[in-house]
Amino acid sequence: MNLFQLALKNISGNSFRSGVVSLCALLVAAFALTTTLLMRGAENSLRLAIDRLGADIIVVPAGSEAKIESALLMGVPARFWMPQDNVNKIAVIPGIEAVSPQLYLATLTGADCCSVSDMFMIAYDPQTDFTIQPWLNQKLGNGLRLGEVVGGSYIFATEGVQNIKVFGYLVTLKANLEPTGTGLDQSMFFTFNTAYDIAQKSATQAEEALVIPPDSISAVLVKAAPGSDLYVISAQIMRELPEVTPILSSNMFQSYRQQMTGLLKTILVIMGITLGLSVVLIGLVFSMAANERRKELGVIRALGATRRFVFQSLLMEASLLAFLGGATGIGLAVLSVYLFRKLLIVSLGFPFILPSPAVLLLQISIGLLLALFSVNLAALFPAIKISRQDPAVAMRE
Amino acid sequence: MKKIMGGFSIILALVIGILPIFTDCQSQGRSLELVNGKTVPMKCHWTGIAEIGVAIPLGLVGVSEILSKRKETFNFLSLMGVALGSLAILFPTVLIGVCANPDMVCNMIMKPGLVLSGSLAIVASVVVFITSRKVAEANL
Repeated sequence: MNLFQLALKNISGNSFRSGVVSLCALLVAAFALTTTLLMRGAENSLRLAIDRLGADIIVVPAGSEAKIESALLMGVPARFWMPQDNVNKIAVIPGIEAVSPQLYLATLTGADCCSVSDMFMIAYDPQTDFTIQPWLNQKLGNGLRLGEVVGGSYIFATEGVQNIKVFGYLVTLKANLEPTGTGLDQSMFFTFNTAYDIAQKSATQAEEALVIPPDSISAVLVKAAPGSDLYVISAQIMRELPEVTPILSSNMFQSYRQQMTGLLKTILVIMGITLGLSVVLIGLVFSMAANERRKELGVIRALGATRRFVFQSLLMEASLLAFLGGATGIGLAVLSVYLFRKLLIVSLGFPFILPSPAVLLLQISIGLLLALFSVNLAALFPAIKISRQDPAVAMRE
Repeated sequence: MKKIMGGFSIILALVIGILPIFTDCQSQGRSLELVNGKTVPMKCHWTGIAEIGVAIPLGLVGVSEILSKRKETFNFLSLMGVALGSLAILFPTVLIGVCANPDMVCNMIMKPGLVLSGSLAIVASVVVFITSRKVAEANL
């Protein structure tokens, strides 16, 4: 009988002990992986949302900073306006390469004239846009025409027709953007012309007209020239236009980042306590098992097994249990996070996106190693103690 | 182990049977309104009804796993468990489906809950199959 077979026999011989150790490993691995998936996923999601915006600075009316963050991250519709000529005033500031205005609109709540309630909609100017237009040119070969829209990954149309009703106006869904895990996935993008056409026709077709104040826009996206100092440009925008707030893309979502950091600290404390308690519990279980099996291990030693063999067999048993529990915990964690991701986003209040398979594999390996480490650490002391005992004394007791 | 997995299958059967009652759109007061003014349940409701048809035999499989002793019976029960677990997954995903809007409660809780429960029912049945084979080999 080799080490592996002996460890397997010992595991199946005491199912309660094996169950407790595996459960501890399961908890450690599942908790570690779930935490990593959520926190890393949230960070990736924020990064993707900033990339999707494609702007270095977003200029919004003063006091609208929280609204734009909630709209972009969680898809909560935002409505705010500023004069259209702000675009020209910002464009002449030194260090700015391109500027493009956007309109932020939303569908009605529970109205028959809108297929989806409270959907955040972004209208862009195809003449100046540098965020959506390049992607459209690459994906569709041309820009959007009147009545055509692109949607986030969650936007879908009636099967076969590809039409979505917005203020009684049927728009055609041309394509879907890649998922970001943020509110942008539930948003719809179209041109200024489509927005003005919907607004004009909504007066007769919708339960409530879509109002776009004349000569108004919601935000200005700014692309800085290479080598420009973004802080200097922001300061200049604030000097020229005191009624607006420039938000650097690197500073976007600060309130969400702070919320996530707070949550991360709490989770790390809970994880530390779970890990500590698991190690203590597994240590106790292995100590009890070692005491119970003193005679049995004494006989094995008397039959010619070395101290090393006894020590290795106990650690092999611990490793097998850790692997079994850890793998189960990881499987459950990945499946649960994947299946309940939408519920988690809504419950936690911040977005997250699942990692690529390569990153997921790395995170799974770390979770499994953590389970193996904690169980082996707990089993180490009892294994050393029992392997050092004299076989004659052990058999007499 | 087989008794534990039998008990686990009974719990999963209860989840599969009861979860849709509280998490389909009808339970949230949402239904489809026809042109003639009548309301009909959305398709997640019918998935929930179909899942009751999966939950009852799965519960019986669990009870049989606790009571049975013969290897051949365990093989059959495992096969049944895998088939019922697969059906629990297929009803909300392929065969009937749930509502299209990802923000609806049937999409956020009912569908993932049923897929997870179905997957665990399959795993439990596979464990029963493997352990019953090992016991039979040891008895030879």
